[in-house]
Amino acid sequence: MNIIETTNLTKSYADFTAVAGINLHIPKSTVYGFLGPNGAGKSTTMKMFLGLTKPTDGSFTINGKRYPENRVEILKEVGSFIEAPAFYGNLSGEENLEIIRKILGLPKSSVEEALEIVGLTQFKKRLAKKYSLGMKQRLGLASALIGKPPILILDEPTNGLDPVGIHEIRTLIRSLPEKFDCTVLVSSHLLSEIELMADNVGILNHGHMLFEGTLDELKSSAASSGYPTDNLEDTFLALINSDNQKRGVVR
Amino acid sequence: MNFISLVSVEFRKLKRSKILFILLAATVILWIPSILNVQLNFHMEAEGISPEHNFFIQGFMGMSWFMFPASMVVGTVLLSQTERSNKGILKMLALPIQRAALCLAKFIVLLVLAITQIIMMACMYYISAAICSAAQDYNFILPPIFVVKEIGLLFLSAIPMIAFFWMLSVCIQTPIFSVCIGLASIVPSVLMINTKLWFAYPMSYPFFVITAEYGKLAARLNTAQVELIPWIPIAFLITMICFGISCIRFGQTERR
Amino acid sequence: MSISLECIKLKRTGFFPALLCGGILAAAVPVLNMTIRWKTYVVVSGNPIQILLDANWQMMAMLNVLFIVAGTCLLYHTEYADNAIQKIKSLPVRESSVFFGKAILTIFMSTLMLAIEAGAITFCAYKWFEIQNTFWSELCKSFAYAFWLMLPCIVLSLLISQSCKNMWISLGMGVIFVFTATMLPPNNFILSLFPFAAPFQIFMNADMTWSMRFVCATAAELIVLGLAELILIRVRRWGA
Repeated sequence: MNIIETTNLTKSYADFTAVAGINLHIPKSTVYGFLGPNGAGKSTTMKMFLGLTKPTDGSFTINGKRYPENRVEILKEVGSFIEAPAFYGNLSGEENLEIIRKILGLPKSSVEEALEIVGLTQFKKRLAKKYSLGMKQRLGLASALIGKPPILILDEPTNGLDPVGIHEIRTLIRSLPEKFDCTVLVSSHLLSEIELMADNVGILNHGHMLFEGTLDELKSSAASSGYPTDNLEDTFLALINSDNQKRGVVR
Repeated sequence: MNFISLVSVEFRKLKRSKILFILLAATVILWIPSILNVQLNFHMEAEGISPEHNFFIQGFMGMSWFMFPASMVVGTVLLSQTERSNKGILKMLALPIQRAALCLAKFIVLLVLAITQIIMMACMYYISAAICSAAQDYNFILPPIFVVKEIGLLFLSAIPMIAFFWMLSVCIQTPIFSVCIGLASIVPSVLMINTKLWFAYPMSYPFFVITAEYGKLAARLNTAQVELIPWIPIAFLITMICFGISCIRFGQTERR
Repeated sequence: MSISLECIKLKRTGFFPALLCGGILAAAVPVLNMTIRWKTYVVVSGNPIQILLDANWQMMAMLNVLFIVAGTCLLYHTEYADNAIQKIKSLPVRESSVFFGKAILTIFMSTLMLAIEAGAITFCAYKWFEIQNTFWSELCKSFAYAFWLMLPCIVLSLLISQSCKNMWISLGMGVIFVFTATMLPPNNFILSLFPFAAPFQIFMNADMTWSMRFVCATAAELIVLGLAELILIRVRRWGA
């Protein structure tokens, strides 16, 4: 059963199309890796799921609910982390989470839990504007994970983290479906990273969906098209390059 | 990098900031009532001022008492927020530039904003004077020499005030406090110009100077006149102190 | 609940102390004015509140409105500065309830400001005039009137600061509007209805119809501004 589904989801601006009629199928209780180079339309798609921008065409359902009719219901089930971390600089990390906790109506203990999960407990009293880049990133993650929502939308969650942090977060994301019966949509521009976390992948380039399926399917389809398959990173690069050439894009 | 290119960089930062639009909107709004109430200028026999002079000076009094100082407060907010909102200031401080030079460059930008608004004000004056001349069949247009002299006076008298506002926004990190202190300090200038100690209060200089000009133009009106001593030394001192403090404090919080 | 959240968000921003200082500053106006020029005013015949307000309300109202403008700019500045608004938008809350919380908070603070000012007026009346039997009811009426006429100003300046991401644009617009308000003739009914101009009105016992017209018009303005807020949120969401 697919918990998130899109049909011809499109977002175009005056002079370019960010997302061009993509059809996503994200099964329940899996990690779905959303892959593509910078500017492929990953963030835009995720923003549409959260109602932060309006689709120009097409539609999507999240857990059977539609936007905009069920906006509040959708948002109740989704924890999100989009692009640059969003927070109140004048408040401490703990106070930032406290605000989100109150809005979501969660028990008091959930703030501590979220801080613990991302490893911020030590710095919870520090003002968010004084956080380092990695700590801001962790705060953003904590604000997505708080209350263990059934659906998580994470946009490049490992950006700016140190190798240990990256490893922690990857392991955490990998474990979420089993631990909390959680569905995760995670984006990245590194295939090697997605490879370690995801059950399914969707590859996006210039707003178009190049591939959707499991990693094994990706390998076999790449092999049949004559792309290198011994290293997935090379497969990904070859896929993107040939698509760019088809579109006549010079990078 | 020489100083002139530093100033031009500061101007580039204001691209797309819509500040010119705000400054212009203020001057347009200022002249509309003057155009609508133009007949009032013909009933000023008691003060002994000619209609065209009255038309001019009333508009400039309105500007110098609140609009112009308040626009400058907004300008300081603009300058400090463009630096702070995306931490641009950190990048600037990491470049091989003297902090004081950077501070001075920003102050010059503020002064140019002031000149811009004053010139807009003069242009709007000519437009509205032309409208009124046509409507009332009376020549409201004053010779440019006179207008340039008046706006020059207004600008010069505003420099200490602008330096004070600039110091506020540099020293006070919490934007609301610098804004509130700035705006609140404008309001009492109406009271200050009536006291003997007006020269100690830089926010009242522009209003005082224009009011004094009003007194000169109106034969039967006695307004306090500018006494260059002790005004000029004190104004100079205030400007230097404010500016010195801004240069010392500039970027210091970010460098902690 | 949304109000307590808004309170947390304002920690360390200086919102509360700034507005309190504003109230004290505005309250200082009549006290200072009377200390310096009491001779001019004690000879005026009439109701002490009326005399005091006639002499000082222009300045007090101006300070009130300026501080409200600055305060509301700050309320939304905290949302926009570190992109927190994006997080709020992706949480299951209505933006209108965020707006409502902020409005209640500003209204509460302006009530406090007015209360301080009413205290100052009482002090002046006690020190330089005589407190008559009708004094307290007069005082309540005057300040309730001032409070009511201030509401549209609060809502409108919140609307402005909500629609501008850059704090200084909303501040600039607020300042321009305050300035416009000071130029509008206070005896012209239609022009004085401009939300930034209405707070400059003084309650006039002698002319109840005039005052009542303002009370009713303010109610209408509040409804219109409330609708404008709903439309703004719609347009924002769909325009994004």
